[in-house]
Amino acid sequence: MIDRQIPQERLELLWVLAYAAAAVFILRLVNLQVLGGAHYREIAERNRTQIISQAAPRGRIFSSDEVALVTSKPSFSLIYFPGQAKTAPEIDRMARALARPLGADYEDLRRNIYKAASREKPVRLAENLPPKIMLALSELKAIYPGVDVIVEARRYYPFGAYLSHLSGYIGKMDAKDWASRSRDKNYSMDSRLGKAGLEQMYEKELRGKDGGIYLEVDSRGKLNRVLESRKWVPGADIFLTIDSKAQAAAEEGLEKSISGKGAVVALDPRSGAIIAFASMPDYDPNMFVMSGSEKEGLPAGKTLPEFNVALQGSYPPGSIFKIITSAAILESGRVGTDEKFRCPGYYDAGSRIFKCWEKRGHGSVAFIDGLAKSCDVYFYNASQRAGALAIEKYSRAFRLGQLSGIPLSGEKTGNVFGPSARAAKKSYWFIGDTLNLAIGQGETLMTPMQAAGMIAAVANGGVFHRPYYVDRIVKSDGQLFYQGKPETLSRVQLKDSTWALIKEGLRSVVQEGTGQAGKITGAEIYGKTGTAQNPQGKDHAWFVAYATVNDEPSRIAVAVLVEHGEHGASAAVPIAKAVIEAALRSELPSKNKPAAAIALPLVPKLPQPATVPVRGVL
Amino acid sequence: MIFTPQGGLKKNRIDWALFLAAMFLLALGTMAIFSSVAVLPGQARIIRVQLIAIPLALIAFGAAWSLNYQVYQDQWKFVYGVLLVILAGVLLFGVVDKGARSWYRLPYFSIQPSEFARVGLILVLANFLDKRIGKIKELPTVLGAFALCVPVFLLLIKQPDFSAILITFPITLIMLFAAGASVFHLSIIVGYAFISALFPILWSVITLNPELLDNALVGYFFHLSDSWLSASIFIAAVVLGCWLLWRLSVRLYANVSGVYFAGAALVLMLGFFSGMLVKNQMKDYQQKRLEVFLSPETDPRGAGYNLLQARIAIGSGGILGRGIFSGTQSRLGFVPERHTDFILAVVGEELGFWGMLLVTGLYVLLMRRIMEGARLARDRFGYLVNCGVFGMFLVYFCINFGMLLGLAPVAGVPLPLVSYGGSNLVATLMALGIAESVYARRYALV
Repeated sequence: MIDRQIPQERLELLWVLAYAAAAVFILRLVNLQVLGGAHYREIAERNRTQIISQAAPRGRIFSSDEVALVTSKPSFSLIYFPGQAKTAPEIDRMARALARPLGADYEDLRRNIYKAASREKPVRLAENLPPKIMLALSELKAIYPGVDVIVEARRYYPFGAYLSHLSGYIGKMDAKDWASRSRDKNYSMDSRLGKAGLEQMYEKELRGKDGGIYLEVDSRGKLNRVLESRKWVPGADIFLTIDSKAQAAAEEGLEKSISGKGAVVALDPRSGAIIAFASMPDYDPNMFVMSGSEKEGLPAGKTLPEFNVALQGSYPPGSIFKIITSAAILESGRVGTDEKFRCPGYYDAGSRIFKCWEKRGHGSVAFIDGLAKSCDVYFYNASQRAGALAIEKYSRAFRLGQLSGIPLSGEKTGNVFGPSARAAKKSYWFIGDTLNLAIGQGETLMTPMQAAGMIAAVANGGVFHRPYYVDRIVKSDGQLFYQGKPETLSRVQLKDSTWALIKEGLRSVVQEGTGQAGKITGAEIYGKTGTAQNPQGKDHAWFVAYATVNDEPSRIAVAVLVEHGEHGASAAVPIAKAVIEAALRSELPSKNKPAAAIALPLVPKLPQPATVPVRGVL
Repeated sequence: MIFTPQGGLKKNRIDWALFLAAMFLLALGTMAIFSSVAVLPGQARIIRVQLIAIPLALIAFGAAWSLNYQVYQDQWKFVYGVLLVILAGVLLFGVVDKGARSWYRLPYFSIQPSEFARVGLILVLANFLDKRIGKIKELPTVLGAFALCVPVFLLLIKQPDFSAILITFPITLIMLFAAGASVFHLSIIVGYAFISALFPILWSVITLNPELLDNALVGYFFHLSDSWLSASIFIAAVVLGCWLLWRLSVRLYANVSGVYFAGAALVLMLGFFSGMLVKNQMKDYQQKRLEVFLSPETDPRGAGYNLLQARIAIGSGGILGRGIFSGTQSRLGFVPERHTDFILAVVGEELGFWGMLLVTGLYVLLMRRIMEGARLARDRFGYLVNCGVFGMFLVYFCINFGMLLGLAPVAGVPLPLVSYGGSNLVATLMALGIAESVYARRYALV
């Protein structure tokens, strides 16, 4: 070592500095790469991939005669991919240019684009674009990179309000939906999902698997290449037991009725399958998938008539309850089948006079006549013999006060009226109560669904099936996913002679009694009209009926309620007739083809999976 | 050193370890550059410049190696003159790029004279320190060394090229330290530099947190730099304060030399004025970089975003890397300046932890060999030259790695031999050639 008059150890000190720096850097690298490698790899992957999700078309809903009641149709959406145009003045200019053709608020649009640009996520700027602005948009598309029009499957209800209470509707997620689905990869914040009815109940089946295009993008959001393209899987199709023609007849009939409010429920008495299910007032589920400009024509701020009259409307049954009273009278054995009671038009209950609906009176009437003419005085007399307790027992046997078991939410049980129900309320039973009970007034309440169950039980000899409306669910690959089956809930045990007499009585209601408007050539109709007194306004009109053709087991039982329809005979009977005619159209002579059935629009074809134009603009 | 069969001694004329380490780094860097520019629009130009620069750099290395380094000491005035001329010339004839006038435009490529000036300055400083070694412990020597730097710094500020100053200043300190300058004197210099930097930083902090201005004192301080008058009042107050403190210490019979108080006042005063100068000279983007370093979350899409993306790139490389030419972060452009300042992000992403370890190891080896050259140097000038070259690599290494790993501000400093940059590559290999020249002409028997 030569003497350079300088301390060599200083060089060593510098060397230590270099060493220490290298050691610190390596430690930091271990932290970043060895320990944090997976984490950063994930971020890097997220950085470079962008997913354009394509919502799968929801499953369709068909009637039993394979008419598509709910389907999807292609619709055009305007989306924005954050790309090069990210500076504030560019976005402002773009938002201003887009606001006019879209008819959207400039501020909203600008905020949406900003949000998308800062999150680097594509955003839908507008949905359901009408064809007339497509031209204007395709011009803007060329000017503003990142703006593009894509094809999506949009929910479509071809018949509008038709069957809306059963089909339900779909809507945007709310906070509660999102809370339960945020982990589900098949849903995103802007997914739509079933909010009511079938759409909600079968959400899992109806919803397909969303497809998506996985793109590799560079730092400016420019497309580099397509990594993977995953095709969507459409949702499963649901085939209902609903007959489209019978349903149309029911809807049409209710719509044309005096009040336009009411319900029709038609069942197959052999299985409990629902053939028609109409409830008015109803709504058009299409409006939940409409975009801003389309909604303009709709009444704003109106609350949705979601109240399902068929399930949730409880009404006094009126004279249709006489079917149950008849069962009690005949089973009691205390009233002879030929025993006649004189009807002067009123009944003197001692403290009070009870009127028959026919002021002039019916003269002397036996059971068949009493039922056919709905003579109140006959039932006043006979019910006192049979006893109120017996009537109450049979009203329970006919499932009053119990749910019909239809798989729809919100169903009401109606109300059982009778001595024991009264006793449970710690109150007294009077003779007038018995009389009211006999003719279906008083506190007895029934839903149209229960009325339909009752008449179906009469038709099939006492069996109560669980009403169902899903015949089968078929997955998009054709695999049968679910098959609806009849399920017996309970049975009313009556003597054969009782059944025969009741049926005979119901037949004569239509043949010569109050329900003569319901006669159909080629079929035998058994029915009972009802007029339920309504202290709030005009009386409600009821009609329950079933039909047989050639003495085969009945294939249709129907209950009709027209709110404020005044007389069952005039308001409710024609609707039931139209429904029965429509349901049995293949077996009836051709001249009886229902004229009421509305012309069904052509079933729209399901859209093909959209091909997103990925060139350049992304 | 080899024992020949004849029994004599033969010394290696070239330090192969140093040369091969440099070549290895260059190869790694070139690969990383090619990978990262694959999708850049100016790809052809960058590859062309790199392919022109490599042979030029090797020629510069060979020339510097074969030339006796002592000629630089002999001709130091000439070296100093040339470096000042090229720095001054660029202000007159240079072209502006990224807000700085620091390039000579030539037909096929551009030259950045500050890269060469730095090597020249090392030679000039080595000569100065060698001549003054007897008086190295005196403050005037230290100040003299910096006096040599001042014209260079002023010319660099004029461009402005703060990154070059950021590199050159610590090199000067390292050379002074290696020459044996008093640590106290060096701390005065560091203190001065610290205060020069502190004021702009404090002002930036206040700009970032405007609520601090509610405090009257802070508000007063913030507006100090606005007018020379208030600045002068502030300085006068500081000087007066120091003088009072000195009088107090005299009264208390404290045995403290007045020099310290004078020095403190002087350092504060000079630091404040140069801080003011720096602040008023700073370009917007430099101000922004400073702010981002102080609080990275203020600008997620700006410089902070760049740093984050670089970190993601390195981290995503993991242990084994994603494979050469397969890094998504750098190839898809998420990492900014990926072929220059952030080249290590590319290496880290594509070669992983082992690649980074390799680069670090090669750098340490390179610095070790340069130091070995210094230790064995024939004369003090050689020793000091090698210390300067060593210091240069050390500073680049620390700042570039530190910036990338989030331990230092984003300063726009490349990593020599690995980063893209023709002038930097030629100048670096020239400096290595000079270091090799010192090694080749060492004493054989030590």
